[in-house]
Parts: sequence; structure tokens; C-alpha cells
Amino acid sequence: MMRNDPIKHVFIWPAVLVVLAISIFPLIYSFTTSFLSYRLIPPIPPRVVWFGNYVTLLQEPRFWNAILTTTLIAFIAVGLQYVIGFGVALALNARVPGERLFRVALLLPMLLAPVAVALVARMIFNPTMGPLNQLLSTFGLANLPFLTNGHWALGCIIAVEIWQWTPFVILMMLAGLQTLPEDVYEAAELENASAWQQFWGITFPMMLPISAAVVFIRLIESYKIMDTVFVMTGGGPGVDTETLTLFAYQEGFKKFNLGYTSALSFLFLIAITIIGVTYLALLRPHLEKRR
Amino acid sequence: MLRRTFLMLTTSLAVACAASQANAACSPDYSGVTLTVASQTGPYIASALKLGADEWTKKTCGKVNVVEFPWSELYPKIVTSLTASDATFDLVSFAPAWLPDFVPYLSEMPKAMQSGKDWDDVEPAYRERLMVWEGKIYSQSMDGDVHTYTYRTDLFSDPKEKDAFKAKYGYDLAPPKTWKQYLDIAEFFQRPDKGLWGTAEAFRRGGQQFWFFFSHAAAYTNNPNYPGAMFFDPETMDAQINNPGWVKGLEEYIRASKLGPPNALNFSFGEVNAAVAGGQVAESIGWGDTGVIAADPKQSKISGKVGSAVLPGSDEIWNAKTKKWDKFPAVLPAPFMAFGGWQIAVPKVGKHQEAAWDFVKTLTSPEVSGQAAITGGTGVNPYRKSHTANLELWSKIFSPQEAKEYLGAQADSINGKNVALDMRLPGYFSYTEVVEIELGKALAGQTTPQAALDAVAKEWNRLTDEFGRAKQLAAYRAAMGLPPKN
Repeated sequence: MMRNDPIKHVFIWPAVLVVLAISIFPLIYSFTTSFLSYRLIPPIPPRVVWFGNYVTLLQEPRFWNAILTTTLIAFIAVGLQYVIGFGVALALNARVPGERLFRVALLLPMLLAPVAVALVARMIFNPTMGPLNQLLSTFGLANLPFLTNGHWALGCIIAVEIWQWTPFVILMMLAGLQTLPEDVYEAAELENASAWQQFWGITFPMMLPISAAVVFIRLIESYKIMDTVFVMTGGGPGVDTETLTLFAYQEGFKKFNLGYTSALSFLFLIAITIIGVTYLALLRPHLEKRR
Repeated sequence: MLRRTFLMLTTSLAVACAASQANAACSPDYSGVTLTVASQTGPYIASALKLGADEWTKKTCGKVNVVEFPWSELYPKIVTSLTASDATFDLVSFAPAWLPDFVPYLSEMPKAMQSGKDWDDVEPAYRERLMVWEGKIYSQSMDGDVHTYTYRTDLFSDPKEKDAFKAKYGYDLAPPKTWKQYLDIAEFFQRPDKGLWGTAEAFRRGGQQFWFFFSHAAAYTNNPNYPGAMFFDPETMDAQINNPGWVKGLEEYIRASKLGPPNALNFSFGEVNAAVAGGQVAESIGWGDTGVIAADPKQSKISGKVGSAVLPGSDEIWNAKTKKWDKFPAVLPAPFMAFGGWQIAVPKVGKHQEAAWDFVKTLTSPEVSGQAAITGGTGVNPYRKSHTANLELWSKIFSPQEAKEYLGAQADSINGKNVALDMRLPGYFSYTEVVEIELGKALAGQTTPQAALDAVAKEWNRLTDEFGRAKQLAAYRAAMGLPPKN
């Protein structure tokens, strides 16, 4: 087939049209909706408000609270996932006894549906019937307000996120560790480099590209957190644990405020893009040094 | 030839007989019809629908498929299906507060169902008010909901407790007439070291919380001198939720949260029932399920010791018109029709309209609904006169004294002179969401009751303007049973 053969259009255009129909069109529709005041319940005819929804959102304390909450969850959870995950991956790579069993067992949380994990967590943190508070009562300690105090509730959500998603970090980091060349370590051994020196001088720098990718993926995913918060706290108490996606869900699927929700989604997209671009810009000098 | 003709005749006769027998068994015959009903996740309501479905299947040979959604998902699922004119559901079960949002998509109840013995048997509060929207009937109540008071008779009749209570508070220990007395009782029985706490109410966001708060506030805001002004001024549609009556209600609701079991702030109605049935609390308020569950020896530690009464009231009620407290000669209870009981309706786009309304008829018949009302876990509370009049029916689960108090509380509440109706407005979720958020803050001590309610009032007024004040005012007046404003 020649490069200029018109038959190429038969193969290309269906794919282009499918992509347009299922991804670009909804995006454009949603973008145009974000400039409308458009409610399904109670039914109000759509009215163009241009940047009205965006301005209202940017002046809305609840929006900024949701950004802060999501950022806290994402950065703390991903930070700890990375530290714990890297540590466990190093241990598994050192071929500890029972390594295969650990490898399978540690992956299990990641395979569970977040809703199921959140339901189990809600039972564990239940104020009266939950085993945690029962344990505290057994030792004569006061019950803790796990899901009824904003700070505690946020801590519980972060703990669940770490428990569920650290295995992903372990999996990726372990795969990375297994590709590192042995001869570099042998040379370091000959130079009498300590394990600590080997880690900071060889392992960490060589793992930087994969670390950057893992943290990036987890960060973006964490910003999309919804099911865990929805099941565990519903965003409460008040709006203390309300994340951006939950806020969008409440506006879109409870209040059917479609224009406002579309604007919220685009602000969310902008926020994620800024975070992603900043993160990559900060890492670029370090990554380029490795090339 | 003759033999062959005889055989054919016999076969035809047999077929005809069998067919007529089948038709007789299925009356009306809905063989081959399968109705799909949207319900909240069981057992509450879904099990009542299944009970009705079994009866309907026996009667008509039709089938019913009950599709369950978690409470928080039910509204979006129904709205999505209705607004898309999607015939997914032949019937939808829902809260009366959602009716204004659903009305454009629902079919009217057949006129034949709007008369007769079974129709008149439905309590007027439902038949004439909650089932009506702009003069038309679009739905049928399948549950009666009014908040009542539940208490432990063993504690209240204990002479030692009675003496100690009187010595401390200066009046007799008895079901409270006022909310102050309710809090005194809760405080008196607050004994964490003995595993006993004062009261249990729902305080969790998304856990039926705001209805409990409304019950407190109804006593101070549902003024018979200015009817229908509990939530909004029926003349101007200005939000009333931050007036002194509401603030007093919220202060007492917050106080009640501190007189409950540990972490009561995480209680939804399910946990309230568990606390009452577990004998953890001396008193509580809530729907009629509490009394039924607490009376059931299989589910309860206090079976045989369950007392019921009408909600406490007040002799001072805020007047939204004069902006002053009205003093009444005696305490006036304002039983709050929280939620208002589940309703069932038939979407216009449903393919089996006739069969669907026939199912509604069976489901809500005095016999089937009466059975559901005395079955713990169905979530069905009395909404027919026959439900509260039939003591024999209730003797299956209650002792005679328990039955007398329970049915008395239900009937007196529904037929109370100053019964407070729940809010029903287009955009209901937008209005209640902000209440939940601000209640959460006030309960956690992050804001004062006045500041929390000021924030709610501000948002309610903004929403009313956005949705159209005149339209919302007309809807509100209709919901409160007031005539249209000229």
C-alpha cells in the first residue's frame, strides 16, 4: 500500500470518528454546559451565564475547602505510600524468608474494590460496635471519635488509602529494583560502601525515574478519590472530609446542577494539570541528570 | 369418525375449563407481566414491597421485581430515569418531599382508586395532604411517618428512680411534655459507668439527621396562629430557619447529642434503634419502627418494657409574622410528620400502567399493609385508621399496655391539632444539603447555632431566588395545605 493510497482514509476515519464521539464531543458538551445556568431539578431552562459558574465557584469557601482536603489526602497518603512501599519493596528484593507469600499477601488490598475496603473500614472505625473502640474500652481508655471528628476522620481516610494503595507502589518499585544492574553494587562492595551509602548513592538515584512515575500516577489517582470518602464519612462531619469529586457528585447527581458541576469539573481538570506540570517541572532537572 | 369427534370435543372442553380456571385464579389476569419497582435497599420498605409482591403474584399471576438502591442513591436513580423518559421502572417508591420534583413525570392515580372503603380508611393527613400535589393525586402512601417518643417503662416506673428524679428536678418522672423535661430525663439517666445513657437521636450527615432536628424545632416554630410558617414565611417565601424558635430547637438538639452513647454523632436512625433495643438509653425519639423493634424479643433486650408517647411540645411558639413569641395557655405538642412516610407512584412512561396501579392497590390494602405494619424491619408504620384501631393485630408483638401507648401515640400524633408537616419543595435536596452541612458544624462545635442557621437561611433565600420565588412560594403553600396566593 502506497503512502498516498486513498484507502488509508477508510481505516483512519472510523477510528477518528469513534474517538471524537466518545471522548471529544462529551468534553466539548461539558465545556459549553459550564457556561450555562442549567438545572435539571427543579427544571430551569438553560441560560448563558458565561464565566458566572466559575466566578461563583472561586468565591465559594466549600470549593476551596474541597481542594484543601483533597490535596491533604493526596499528598500525605501518596508520600507515606511511597516511603512504606519503597521500604517493603527493598525488603522483598533482599529475598527475605517467605518473600513469595508476602508478595502475594501484600498485593491483596489493591485487588479489592475501594467500596468494599471502605465498608470494612467503616465497621472497624464504628463508634460502638467497631473493634478499635472496643479494644480501647477493654484497656479502660476513652472511645475515639474516629469518624465524627474532622481531623480523625481525615486521618482514617488517609490510613485506608495507604493500606489499599501501598501495594501498587510495592509492585512497581519491586519491578524497578529487579532491573537494577548487579555489577554496580559489586563495585560498591569492593569500595566498602555501606548499605546506607549504596541506597543513597546507587539505588535511590537509579530508581528516580520509576519513582517519579509511580508518585505521579498515585497523585493523580488520589486526587480522584471518591468511593472511600463517600462510604466512610459521606464528606462529613460538616464538609470536613469532602473531596473535589464528592463535591462534584453532590452538585451533579444530588442537586442536578449541571452547569455548575461542569464548571467544577473543568476547574478540577485545571487544578490537576497545574499540579502535574509543577511536579514534572520540579523533577525535570533531577531526571535529566540521570540521562 | 364418531369416536374421533367425541375425543376432540372432550379435549376442547377440558382446555376451555382449564383456561377458565386459570383466569379465575388470576384476577385480574396479569400473567406474563413483570413490574419493576425502584426501592431503597432492604429490609426497610424493600421487604414491604416484596410482601405486597407475593400477595399480588398470588392474586394476579403477575410478577414484581424489586430493584434496590442505597438510600443516598435512590433519588438520583429515579430522577435520571424519569427525566430521560426511560421506562426502566414501572413503579417508584420515594419520600413525599421528592414528589414536587417527580410530578411532571408521574401518572395520576385512577379515579376509581380515589374512593371507597379502602380510600377513606387512609388517615386524612396522608390522603388529603401528603398524597396531594396541586389538587391532584399522583402517589399513594405505603407507610406512615411521624416522629414519636419512646421510653423504657421499667426505668420510669421504678420507685427509686421516681423518688430520685423528683428530688432532683421537682416534678414527677413521666413521659415529657416539654423538650426541657426531655433533656432533664436524658441528663438524669446519663450513667456511662452503668452502660446507660440518656437519649438516642440521629446526628450523622446522611443519616436522617435533619428530621430529628426539625422535630425539636417544630415545637417552637409550628405556630397555629400563623399556619404554614415553620420553614418559610408563606407570604414572602423568606426563610424562617434562623428565627429564635429554630435556634432554640438547635440548641436543644445539640444538648441531646451530648446526652447519648459515645460517638452518638455518628448515629443514623439504624443506630438509634439498636441503642434503644439494646437497652442502652432511657428514652429516644424517632419513627414508629423504634417501638416495633424494641418490642420484638428476637431483636430487643427491653421487650415488654417499651412505652410510647407524643413528642414533647412547648407553650411558647415563635410567630414569624409578629416576630414575637406567642404564649399559649398550655403546652401545645407539635408532632412532626418527619419524612411523611414512603409513597409509591407510577411513572407516565411505564409500560404497564394498569397493572402497576393494581399492584399499588394490593400493596396498600388494609390487609397487606396491616401485616407489613406489625412486621419488624419492613419500615412500614401505621397510616390507615384500621392500622391503629386493630388492637388484636398489634397484640402479636406488643403487650396490651405497650400496644395501647404505641397506637395512641401514633394516632394522636397524626391527628394532632398542631401536627407539623415536613417541607416539600422543588429542589428539595438543594435545601436540605446545606442544613446537613451546617448542622454538622454546629454539632461539632465549629460554629454557633445562630451562625449555622443564618448560613442556612442565606442559602435557602438564594436558592429560592434562583429557582423562582413566585414558583417556590406557590409550591410551598400547596405543600403546607394553604390556598394559592392571589
